[in-house]
Amino acid sequence: MLRDELHISDEELLQAVDGELGTRRAAQVQAHLAACWNCRARVTDIEAAIAGLVRAQRQTNQPKLPSADGPRALLRAELAELARQPAIHSAIHSVIHAWMRRTWINPARLTAISLAVAMSGLFGGLILFHRASHGLNGNTASLERGVLPESNLTPGATRAVSIGEVCSILHEQVVREVSDSVRKQVFEEYGIKNARSEDYEIDYLIAPGLGGTDYIQNLWPQPSWNVKWSSYVKDELEERLHQMVCSGDLDLPTAQREIASDWIAAYKKYFHTEAPPSRIGASVLPDLTQQSAGGNI
Amino acid sequence: MPPYHSISELSFPGTGACTHAAGPSEIECEVMRLFEQFRDPLLRYALSFGICMHDAEEVIQEVFLSLFRHLQLGRSRKNLRGWVFRVTHNLALKQRYANQGSRVRMNADETNMHEQSDPSPNPEEHLSNAQRRQRLLAVVNALGEAEQHCIRLRAEGLRYREIAEVLGISLGSVSVLLARSIERLIRADGR
Repeated sequence: MLRDELHISDEELLQAVDGELGTRRAAQVQAHLAACWNCRARVTDIEAAIAGLVRAQRQTNQPKLPSADGPRALLRAELAELARQPAIHSAIHSVIHAWMRRTWINPARLTAISLAVAMSGLFGGLILFHRASHGLNGNTASLERGVLPESNLTPGATRAVSIGEVCSILHEQVVREVSDSVRKQVFEEYGIKNARSEDYEIDYLIAPGLGGTDYIQNLWPQPSWNVKWSSYVKDELEERLHQMVCSGDLDLPTAQREIASDWIAAYKKYFHTEAPPSRIGASVLPDLTQQSAGGNI
Repeated sequence: MPPYHSISELSFPGTGACTHAAGPSEIECEVMRLFEQFRDPLLRYALSFGICMHDAEEVIQEVFLSLFRHLQLGRSRKNLRGWVFRVTHNLALKQRYANQGSRVRMNADETNMHEQSDPSPNPEEHLSNAQRRQRLLAVVNALGEAEQHCIRLRAEGLRYREIAEVLGISLGSVSVLLARSIERLIRADGR
């Protein structure tokens, strides 16, 4: 690589070739290339390497791709099915509205109902406000949904790491805080950029102590409290898996895979329990599914 | 530098079916147009994770179904090319994790390698070209994972900023990783 200050670095030459330099710098590089045979030869090398790679890829993978006909037809059918779902919902709404129009046609009655609805809305609002002030806010359901990451946004990501490296330090020593900018990026990706930061912890799906990276694919906003399966519960699982990997009871790829695919299922499996102990689970809110069954939300 | 593509900026063939009142919705048509545009590059990228063709096809189906839901919810249409590559990246990674327990990882460049006949006129040249090709692909396969992702995404035409978004790394890192990869290719080529 040319490192002489008189020459342009390979990184910048590649940026120039790729059209990634700003206008001013691109002009400076072009002027330099016009004068410098060394850098021009280097650009030729870069172009030749790119051309060689493109040709090699074209002559290997390209012909193997199967026809898109089947996948295209399948996608079209699945999209049509998906598109129909909201249509069915709106059809149901239309039927209900039509029925209401037929049954409650008296304007005085409609006004009375509207007032009743408004009052119940106000009352409901007061209840929600009360619950929010006691930690049982309306956000709870969305927090509970967030205990597992969305697989298309956070599939997990690992780095090449040896067992020796994983086990040479204590699990808690390799847990790192993510930067504010990454935290913001993760919140935005999950569409909760206005959420209260104290409700969530940016957690590593695959913990660094298990070979997880700090790529955004391995990070998600995990509810830190107010939910049964909180980040504290997951911390316990991470520690347990780390111990098992280091004692040879579990291989590292299995630990990574299980925590990435469904960490709650992994917790149940490795702690032989259906629920975390209440000291680390949410102390103020039992399982939402149980509450819903009791109709007490 | 060319701007990112939004759906409205891309032109696709076969849009006539979408104008019919009883036909598919506008969003369905947009997704199908993007499928025509990006299916092959996305499939190649998914295969580079070492998953089999069947899994890669399923990943791509899921990507476009996710895209449909994304658009249906009125979410951002900015740089949808980067978006579909990012979701492909994430789902292919997920698939690879799922496969790790049940199957031996396959090397995409080995399992999917079907060579086209080389148009070179003489056997020596043919052999030399084939050797060079193998050498370059071997270099790519020996690169670190982040470098491989960068170079494959760049080969599919993504700009540095899009690659940074797909991989969740900085623009500077993309530039460094690409330069390092090209440097290795140049060395392997004996230049």
